Amino acid sequence: MTLQYGQIIQYLPDFLIGALMALWIAGLAFAAGLVIGLFCAAALTYGAWPLRAVVTAYVRFFTYTPQLVQVFFLFFALPEAGITLSPVAAVLIGMTLNAGAYLTEIERAGFVSVPQAELDAAETLGFSRLQVIWYVIAPHVVRALYPALSSHYIIMTLGTSMAAIFGVEELTGRALNANAISFRSVEIFSVVAVLYILLTIIASTLLWCLGRWLFRVKARVF
Amino acid sequence: MSAWDIIVSEAPRFFTWWNLRFLALALGNTLLASVAGCAIGYAAGFALAMLRLPQLVGFAGLRVAAIFWVEIFRRIPFLVLLLLVFFLSQFARLEAPLWAVAVTAVALRMSALAAENIRAGLETVRPTQWEAALTMNIPALTALRRIILPQSWRVILPPSIVHVLSMVKETSLVSQIGFIEITFAAKMLTQRGFSALLTYGTALVLYFCVSWALASLGHWAERRLTLRPAPLTP
Repeated sequence: MTLQYGQIIQYLPDFLIGALMALWIAGLAFAAGLVIGLFCAAALTYGAWPLRAVVTAYVRFFTYTPQLVQVFFLFFALPEAGITLSPVAAVLIGMTLNAGAYLTEIERAGFVSVPQAELDAAETLGFSRLQVIWYVIAPHVVRALYPALSSHYIIMTLGTSMAAIFGVEELTGRALNANAISFRSVEIFSVVAVLYILLTIIASTLLWCLGRWLFRVKARVF
Repeated sequence: MSAWDIIVSEAPRFFTWWNLRFLALALGNTLLASVAGCAIGYAAGFALAMLRLPQLVGFAGLRVAAIFWVEIFRRIPFLVLLLLVFFLSQFARLEAPLWAVAVTAVALRMSALAAENIRAGLETVRPTQWEAALTMNIPALTALRRIILPQSWRVILPPSIVHVLSMVKETSLVSQIGFIEITFAAKMLTQRGFSALLTYGTALVLYFCVSWALASLGHWAERRLTLRPAPLTP
């Protein structure tokens, strides 16, 4: 038995579309999770104790259980309660709730990073509330959070491979399909592993450049 | 029938001695794969972190190789890594048992994460201490063992417990190759006709308890080890 990489070249374009789909799924879940995280972090910082307790329970539950089992629960158990989800919907909802929990923890650190003195200075200068948010709070929060957020997006991109188990055709799902047709398992999965490495290196380099140009922050590429 | 009725009517049939025993075995397998994998991974990660110490390894090629290893295994999704190890063991006709495949995959992933953690821990000790030790003609390995590690292990230990926690969660993917851990046990029980609400709900509760215990241990270790002033500050 020998390795025959020639036989799987035909699948490469297919895999590249899958890679883009992985980035897209992670992007959607990340964007929605960012909003959930923003509200939860605000609730944890400024909310009353019953609200804080609820948010803490949400964060605990989703960070202490595996994402895969959460999506299994959404996909297999909710139909018994009368809610039927498509595979993509189940994966997206599961990943969003999961991302929301992790991003709550990350974004909470951002609220702490705004110095009170600068808020007082802005008030003295007669800034409106919108101006305070845009010129004082946002730059601090973005600069403090950008590295952690961009590395969480990369982790989520790797996490999308879990969607293959539910039949979503992203990179790993397409690899499983190609494997079922050609049985060139080692070749396919080694190529897919290399694709994931390249994909995340390109994505983190782009995020680094973006952070550099937009917010002048240094994020970690390697 | 509402969800609550399903749970109430099936619970006596579900929580029998045999099912509980089966779930306990599955829990044991989850812990075996994650703890054994993390132990091996940490040993490998320690070797990788040592390769990256310029005081210890003079040859830059080895340092670059260690960096490549870490970057490669950090960027492969666990599911893909697992399937790759699984198919490679079949390809090499090793006839490895499933637990060995699971432990190998966890150890490979962990080696990359552990190397980063250990390197960060070793870097908390000031470089002047290395220089002083080497100037006094203490061999580099002895300096690492007697001077650097006693100061840095308290920075390394708490995140390593969190790593075990994250591996307990990642091993849920091992159900895909048929290793009977909590997720696969829940799947089997579902296929035996129990309500998915009960089986996956129980799996979630089990994972939650294990993770909570590990996270509390991690917090305790962090409070205990890092807030106290280190005895050997320069």
